[in-house]
Amino acid sequence: MAASVCRVGSTVGRALAKSRSPILLSLRRGQASVSYAQSLLGAPETRLTALDNGLRVASEETGHATCTVGLWISAGSRYESEKNNGAGFFLEHMAFKGTKNRPQTELEQQVESMGAHLSAYTSREHTAYYMKTLAQDLPKEVSFEAEIEQQRGVVLRELEEVENNLQDVCLDMLHATAFQGTPLGNSVLGPSDNARTLTRQDLVDYVNSHYKAPRIVLAAAGGVNHDELVTLAKSHFSGVSFEYEGDAIPVLSPCRFTGSEVRMRDDGLPLAHIAIAVEGAGAASPDIVPLMVANSIIGSYDLTYGGGKHLSSRLARLAVEEKLCHSFQAFHSSYSDTGLMGIYFVTDKERIEDMMHWSQNAWMNLCTTVTESDVARGKNALKASLVGQLNGTTPICDDIGRHILNYGRRIPLAEWDARIDAVTPRMVRDICTKYIYDKCPAVAAVGPIEQLPDYNRMRSAMYWLRF
Amino acid sequence: MCLKCETCKASSDWYDISNHDIVGFSYLLEQLINNINKNLFNQGCKRFFAILTLNSNVPHEGIRLAHTDVKIPDFSDYRRNEVIDPKKSSQESSDSRRAFSYLLTGASTVVGVYMAKTVVTQFVSSMSASADVLALSKIEIKLSDIPEGKNMTFKWRGKPLFVRHRTEKEIATEVAVNIAELRDPQHDKDRVINPRWVIVLGVCTHLGCVPIANAGDFGGYYCPCHGSHYDASGRIRKGPAPLNLEVPYYEFPDDDTVIVG
Repeated sequence: MAASVCRVGSTVGRALAKSRSPILLSLRRGQASVSYAQSLLGAPETRLTALDNGLRVASEETGHATCTVGLWISAGSRYESEKNNGAGFFLEHMAFKGTKNRPQTELEQQVESMGAHLSAYTSREHTAYYMKTLAQDLPKEVSFEAEIEQQRGVVLRELEEVENNLQDVCLDMLHATAFQGTPLGNSVLGPSDNARTLTRQDLVDYVNSHYKAPRIVLAAAGGVNHDELVTLAKSHFSGVSFEYEGDAIPVLSPCRFTGSEVRMRDDGLPLAHIAIAVEGAGAASPDIVPLMVANSIIGSYDLTYGGGKHLSSRLARLAVEEKLCHSFQAFHSSYSDTGLMGIYFVTDKERIEDMMHWSQNAWMNLCTTVTESDVARGKNALKASLVGQLNGTTPICDDIGRHILNYGRRIPLAEWDARIDAVTPRMVRDICTKYIYDKCPAVAAVGPIEQLPDYNRMRSAMYWLRF
Repeated sequence: MCLKCETCKASSDWYDISNHDIVGFSYLLEQLINNINKNLFNQGCKRFFAILTLNSNVPHEGIRLAHTDVKIPDFSDYRRNEVIDPKKSSQESSDSRRAFSYLLTGASTVVGVYMAKTVVTQFVSSMSASADVLALSKIEIKLSDIPEGKNMTFKWRGKPLFVRHRTEKEIATEVAVNIAELRDPQHDKDRVINPRWVIVLGVCTHLGCVPIANAGDFGGYYCPCHGSHYDASGRIRKGPAPLNLEVPYYEFPDDDTVIVG
């Protein structure tokens, strides 16, 4: 009796699920309403249109009640020079402060009354300004007329704040040393000198040379209508210029990677933050998927993980059994033509040497003995994380913006899935060997790092004599 | 933050440091100390003693620059030519750079190992026999100095060496001896290279005395200690000695000289 009720219930539920009504889906509590393969194929398509001036408009109508809309611009600290390093970050603070037509208070009131969130971020190659709101009228242009002096203080305060976030400090120093002498080595925040001396003219110059229509994407996700969005874009953004002064189109030159190290020793800090990385693959490189799978095999860990010594990543298991670290994560930051693939870990000052040894050991295993089951596990973990990250309109919108800037199109989950499925253990081994084996790493360390081995020892651990 | 001068007990007021947007603790301390000194002086304290007790949440007093102010130095002076240009990827040249380094290391290792081997051999071989000892190990004898029938004794390796110029009669006698009768059977031709010359060690095989030449019952040598008789070939014929006189290694580079040893 109970079984037949369940059967009826599940059939009804399945039928309702096909109609994609969110309320009725709850009748299928406890069972997956759509299979993974179905969900991949059923994902809504991202529509892309380009305006006459080159500005691209992309959106995905996901059926959510809210939406995120924003501008993704191909500008960042990589485009800055020593003199104006930090301009992009400064600019980010000038955003949302009012326009000629609407003063700041009015803009804020409007935004607050809508219940919307304005947000922005600057990274080395991208800048984004976006707003999360109900699926209603979207905000107009972003303005930079605001009071620069006021923002100067804010920026300096933020510089001070960031010093407490040792993960950011460590990874910034990693970039600074790995890409020394190149624009990728510049931090997004810029030096404090620049924060004190940048003028309005510097910011205006920055905007004029980088905020050009072909490098801007208006992306939206959620309950948006693509045609409506295009109309809005035409009316507000047709004026964005696409010509450069003096035809000086900034071309990104390759950035040289230098195997090197930087140590910021401070024995007063409680924990050591250390990152070791090799040069990785650029966003458009075909090697990126096997490298992402490789990173999933190493995985991540921190003290809150409940798996204990049953965690599947070997390094995580060792971290628990030998109490090697407080946390670690394998990361891959990819830029347009290069990247940094590495492991970042936070550990006690007495365990640094052991943790470094086992991290590099994990890399060597990837290059030599990675097995079928490791790769299968890595692939599954990667697929799960790719899907899991797209859990709201903002992550989806961000995904759209970044993909259009990096690849010129949105890469759908089904394609990621296919590319991940194509990875074999031999491929992982070969590609990891190509990027990791016997290469000079870049190392950045902050904190009580006396125990960190000498660079030559870390360099020697990048190969095994038995091979 | 409250400060008190230890000497004159003048105290200062609270100093507000929250308005400083300077990143860098040393500048802060400098400012603070300047302010302290000014105030204490105004209050009549002549000795500028200020004890700073910092109520900071952080248990240490480190100084750290803003990390974005830290400049990675320019190492162009030390870079190889292929990686001087920051606008060129270092991947292309990485194989050749690595090959060069490994080649240099390999070659240095080989040279180093060879040098080590040489040094070690020199030290070990210093323990072997010295030149003067080696020089003593061979003796060169001019045979024309020894008349026929005469036995000459030389000191060689600390032992007496008998060189006997045999007559034809002696040779014939020794050759004709029946080996079966001998205690230590050895044919004469096995004991000499040139039958005219017998070269033996003058050490009696019994207990080591030196036999007397041209003595004894067999026309050879006689050991006076215990009465061992040797013949003209140095073989034991009578007496307590068990073995024949030892024949050392020798060679004749030419007819007139023999080198023994």
